Amino acid sequence: MGEARAGEGTVDVVFDGHVIAANQGVSLLQAWIAAGLPLTENAGCMGQGVCGACRVLVRRPGERLAGTALACETKAEAGMQVSFVDHFPARRPHRYALESLTDSWSIAEQIDTVFPEAKHCRHCSGCDRACPKGIPVQRMVNLAAEGQVFAAAELFDACVMCNLCVAACPEHIDPAHLGQFTRRMHAALTLRPADLMQRLRQIEAGEQRIDPEAPGTYPPAHA
Amino acid sequence: MSAGISFPEALAAWAAAAPAPERDCTLPVPELLKIFHPDHRAGGMVTLAAGASAGTACPVELAALLQSDALLEDVDLAGTHILDADVLILGGGGAGCVAALAAARAGARVLIAAKLRLGDGNTVMAEGGIQAAIGAEDSLQRHFEDTLRAGHFAADKAVVAALVEDGPDAIRWLIQQGMSFDLTDERQRMGGTLLRKKPGGATAARLLSYRDFTGLEMMRALREAVLLQPGIAVLDRHPAVELLTDDRGRCGGAVLQDLGRGRLVLARAGATVLATGGAGRLHLAGFPTSNHYGATADGLVLAYRAGARLREMDSFQYHPTGIAWPGHLEGMLVSEAARSAGARLINGRGERFVAELAPRDVVASAMLREMVEGRGIVRDGQLGLFLDTPSLEREQPGILQKRLQTLSHLAHRAGIDPAGEPFMVRPTLHYQNGGVAIDSRARTSLPGLLAAGEVTGGLHGRNRMMGNALLELVVFGRRAGAMAAVDARQERPRNLGLNHLAGWRRGLLAAGLGLEGKGPLLFPSYGNITAAALKGRAA
Repeated sequence: MGEARAGEGTVDVVFDGHVIAANQGVSLLQAWIAAGLPLTENAGCMGQGVCGACRVLVRRPGERLAGTALACETKAEAGMQVSFVDHFPARRPHRYALESLTDSWSIAEQIDTVFPEAKHCRHCSGCDRACPKGIPVQRMVNLAAEGQVFAAAELFDACVMCNLCVAACPEHIDPAHLGQFTRRMHAALTLRPADLMQRLRQIEAGEQRIDPEAPGTYPPAHA
Repeated sequence: MSAGISFPEALAAWAAAAPAPERDCTLPVPELLKIFHPDHRAGGMVTLAAGASAGTACPVELAALLQSDALLEDVDLAGTHILDADVLILGGGGAGCVAALAAARAGARVLIAAKLRLGDGNTVMAEGGIQAAIGAEDSLQRHFEDTLRAGHFAADKAVVAALVEDGPDAIRWLIQQGMSFDLTDERQRMGGTLLRKKPGGATAARLLSYRDFTGLEMMRALREAVLLQPGIAVLDRHPAVELLTDDRGRCGGAVLQDLGRGRLVLARAGATVLATGGAGRLHLAGFPTSNHYGATADGLVLAYRAGARLREMDSFQYHPTGIAWPGHLEGMLVSEAARSAGARLINGRGERFVAELAPRDVVASAMLREMVEGRGIVRDGQLGLFLDTPSLEREQPGILQKRLQTLSHLAHRAGIDPAGEPFMVRPTLHYQNGGVAIDSRARTSLPGLLAAGEVTGGLHGRNRMMGNALLELVVFGRRAGAMAAVDARQERPRNLGLNHLAGWRRGLLAAGLGLEGKGPLLFPSYGNITAAALKGRAA
């Protein structure tokens, strides 16, 4: 939890206007807590780097522009300027119902219907720079717009739903949601495991009944 | 517990012996658990003196919250903003999202209130996988018996049967929501077989997964489904601070704290689903935890105060392989997938000391024994044991990069090469085995309140199997949501308010407990903010 450790060096970081002396090696999120600052948002998994809640803007000494990062995965460095970034939901949801995607011959048209902005990508790479996971977001957008669902879905394997690409896109493409659309389509339309289907048929036919009084449901007898 | 073998010495012993031969634990299991499991530590438990489960044991830290007074009084509700819904869901993790989808699809108007942001709970952090008995050699009966046995036969059979019976259908439902699973052969997407691994304590390979971030893959699909589902409204940053009850004691919604605006909101509903998750951030016995920031037992506190019964509240799960070094990564987990794949646990003498795939309580206790008895490894003041990833990589070249990506990522952050150097691990507070008692329809003993996910009790007995938590949140989320939609069509609660509090306070005073302690906690102590301070803070 980033407790202060005597004897180790500290680095000064400016975080949301507060000057913080952070222990060397701790994450920005740990530094915030250790400084005694209240934390009621921008936190979730606390370091695993999977929830995308602790979005920050970070500028290092000598850099002109601030970049985006996750505070739980970024170590405090001397002279960093840091600020939390709000969660940016999409301005208008791109509505679709997965279960009504029945005609897979028209996938490209259906993607275009739900995400008409995708074909207008300006190739500004704003989304690529925003992504704290290094996903080639723009490439995914372009593939999805061409109907290359599997390839697009694979590129979004590491997405943690921080929505920074949504905030970064000047065309309101909502890349995070487009990425999820391709991933969900990929699973819902094509994943049909035979062993699962077989077991479901057995259950529906009443061949997998549970016996709650079978010997194995009791502790081994103390014989 | 700080004496141990120095890291360089332990590393030399490991290198000389690797791969270390198998060696069984030298203590019988009941004795091992009794002496070394943290649930049994001296002075760790107290007996609850007030409430529906008075007389049962509970950890000291949790009992203080369960037997606390409310943050609110009647007068706080005057002039409060009111929201109405058919179904109110407390909690925005996996269970809350599944329940919301099920309720909305059954025709209910749904309101989800989350303390953090929708999805930022424990579900998204789950790595290992989800159990469902789909193998030809496996059966629902085996899953049923394995779950009961792993839980030391303390679970509610009817609830476990419901869990197991719905398992395969839960996997189909998840795929329909757009979640992917690993296949044995990725080319065989239509037909083919799901990749199955054997969870600790199981008699068959039953663990389905998506790489080693199954929870992330699940939560991405669920979160997107919730955002696109008509009939669901989401309130982020709205923790519940008290349940609303009517004059017959029935639950009719909750009082929420709007953190953004610094005000209270009354959410009235025909049925309420508790999906608030666990309690890891209470750091029982000072253990580090793998849980997300919001896991502070709020739901347990609210439900107990309003009259719901709890069970197995004295049983917690310690995940064997939390990070022990470096200190700033404490609480992070190395997934059980590593042990499932064959990684071994090694003490400071280069020896194995337990069957690595025994149930988690057994493995964790055996590890604590090594640490207590001086065979742990000390590095920079941190005490732990080795997880032998280098031998795993030697035996199955490429496995770290292909199947254990999260582990490799973690190693990178720890500054080690997992193919060359073993991880330092230690048991870490992971899961609340008990909770609010539910029946197989997800109803609690408090009318109007249903529950799903980690907050519930009865499913896992005294030890949860890997992969049953993700299954539970889907199965009981679906059941709770559907049942809540039905319940909401019945007669609505009337004369809503904080009707349960007068009796609760009398009970606390009668038990000699006083009214000084307040709950719920909302945020851990190191979050530098208290619930009482939040209540008084206008935006």
